[in-house]
Amino acid sequence: MRRAGDVLRVLRYAVLSGYYDYQTIYTWRTWMVGWYVRVLSQVAFFALIGKLLHSPERTHYLLVGNAMLLAASGSLVAVASTQWERWAGTLPLLVAAPSSHVVVFAGRSLAFVADAVLTSLGAFFAAAAIFGLPLPWPRVLLLPGLVVSIAVATYALAIFLGGCALRAPGSRNVVSNLATTTMMAVAGVNVPVSFYPAPVHALSYALPLTFGLRGVRGLLGGASGGTVVADVAAQLAIALGWLALALLTFDRFGERGRRTGAIDFS
Amino acid sequence: MDAAIDVREITRVFTPRKREPVTALDAVSLSIPSGEVHGLLGPNGAGKTTLVKILSTVLLPTSGSAAVCGHDVVAEARAVRPLIGIVFGGERGLYWRLSGRQNLEYWGALYKLSRSEIAERTERLIQRVGLGERADERVETYSRGMKQRLHLARGLVGDAKVLFLDEPTTGMDPLAAREFRALIAELRGEGRTILLATHDMTEAEALCDRVTLIDRGTILATESPRSLGRVISRFQRIDVEGADDDVLDRVASLPGVASVAAADAGVRIEVAEEGVTADVLRLLVDSGVTSVRTSMPSLEEVYVHLIGDRGLQV
Repeated sequence: MRRAGDVLRVLRYAVLSGYYDYQTIYTWRTWMVGWYVRVLSQVAFFALIGKLLHSPERTHYLLVGNAMLLAASGSLVAVASTQWERWAGTLPLLVAAPSSHVVVFAGRSLAFVADAVLTSLGAFFAAAAIFGLPLPWPRVLLLPGLVVSIAVATYALAIFLGGCALRAPGSRNVVSNLATTTMMAVAGVNVPVSFYPAPVHALSYALPLTFGLRGVRGLLGGASGGTVVADVAAQLAIALGWLALALLTFDRFGERGRRTGAIDFS
Repeated sequence: MDAAIDVREITRVFTPRKREPVTALDAVSLSIPSGEVHGLLGPNGAGKTTLVKILSTVLLPTSGSAAVCGHDVVAEARAVRPLIGIVFGGERGLYWRLSGRQNLEYWGALYKLSRSEIAERTERLIQRVGLGERADERVETYSRGMKQRLHLARGLVGDAKVLFLDEPTTGMDPLAAREFRALIAELRGEGRTILLATHDMTEAEALCDRVTLIDRGTILATESPRSLGRVISRFQRIDVEGADDDVLDRVASLPGVASVAAADAGVRIEVAEEGVTADVLRLLVDSGVTSVRTSMPSLEEVYVHLIGDRGLQV
């Protein structure tokens, strides 16, 4: 019980620290004007392609896919923010502390998950109104839960990738962009997963967006509750898999850093 | 007395990619008793930080062993970590966007303190390092000296038995450095063992019970700052003012006098044999010279003598 309390306390402060970092990036005004308008334009851009094709189905497909992509890409900021411990010089102190540094890394960028959820939902509902996407009430009330599952699952992938990028800090943005591009291409955002040859499907369904996005499409398209729940369950399983890999990676990073001397004091 | 830090034949070799291996520490042995403030002196690249990193479980040695409070730093790293505190110099190692209080609470949580322990210890440390009025302001608004005091408080949040201070006063103004050293001196009074890696000879001389001179990964000497002078000059020096050339010639001709040379405001006589100091003093006083002072070489002189001009090289 004491151990759980310790972990939660560390997590709380890690989240708080990340939240303050996040606060220095945006105010409400800059978030609305500088970020929200930009991502809404991005979703609208893709939805307009459907309009140009005179296809309401494609318009809605692209709108939903790109709005949900925001939940994933926003969480991928954690690939870069994981490096901030290195820049702050706190990495050796974390490795030498009695508690596991993995908890710190897991909590450090959670503020970006909240941002990703808010961004995704905000863009979705605004774009839905603009492009006339019919919303099935009250089923749509379950949408935030699915968006959270996408953001959290992608966060697990992001901290795994962040742990890998700690070994080569210069690669953090490349890794993050590559992950976003891959999801955009093969996770069912703009074209269905079935568009790709079968061998690519394994990659598609290992990504933390694919099942969640399929669940969202099912929810909005009137699929049975069982189908949506199955997608959510698969999404959570993928999230747990990435989380397990992330924990392993950070543990390995600490041990490898001790061996190679990669953890600097200055 | 039990050794708080016991280093035996520690070697650490780094193998950079596509470059020759570098031996940062070469069979270093060192024993520091509990409650001692021990200085680790040496130029950049001497191996000071490598040794501190090994002792603080951040780096594994290539060979040899080291123990902190009886726990092996490799095999029992988990047992070592609650016992140690690390304090860097400079501005890194703190969360700038958290307040000083939040930083301490955060590290208190990482040191597995209970909620009440965190609250009590945070408040006590804030008062102790003199940050009471600014404790709830963001660290990014602190001066260098305040950040350094917060660093020290962070190093103490787990009630460390052994503190590693790595260049703790780097970049601080003289007044802030003085205040910081006063805090270190207080810690000595509490029986904590402190390993202080520093370039600052004045700091080492003022704070340390013993110092170890280290260069190119090997230990050159371990002594108290006062007796370390004997490494380069076994016996005393005599600084004289107002002595005429005839008297100085007679001093120079005494057996056991190594040199008579002009110094700052007068002349410095160095002796090379035990007992010669008394002969020199007698001759000077008999000749009517009354401005006479005996001294040992300062730690800085010892450092320069032993390490020479390596200070700018890495």
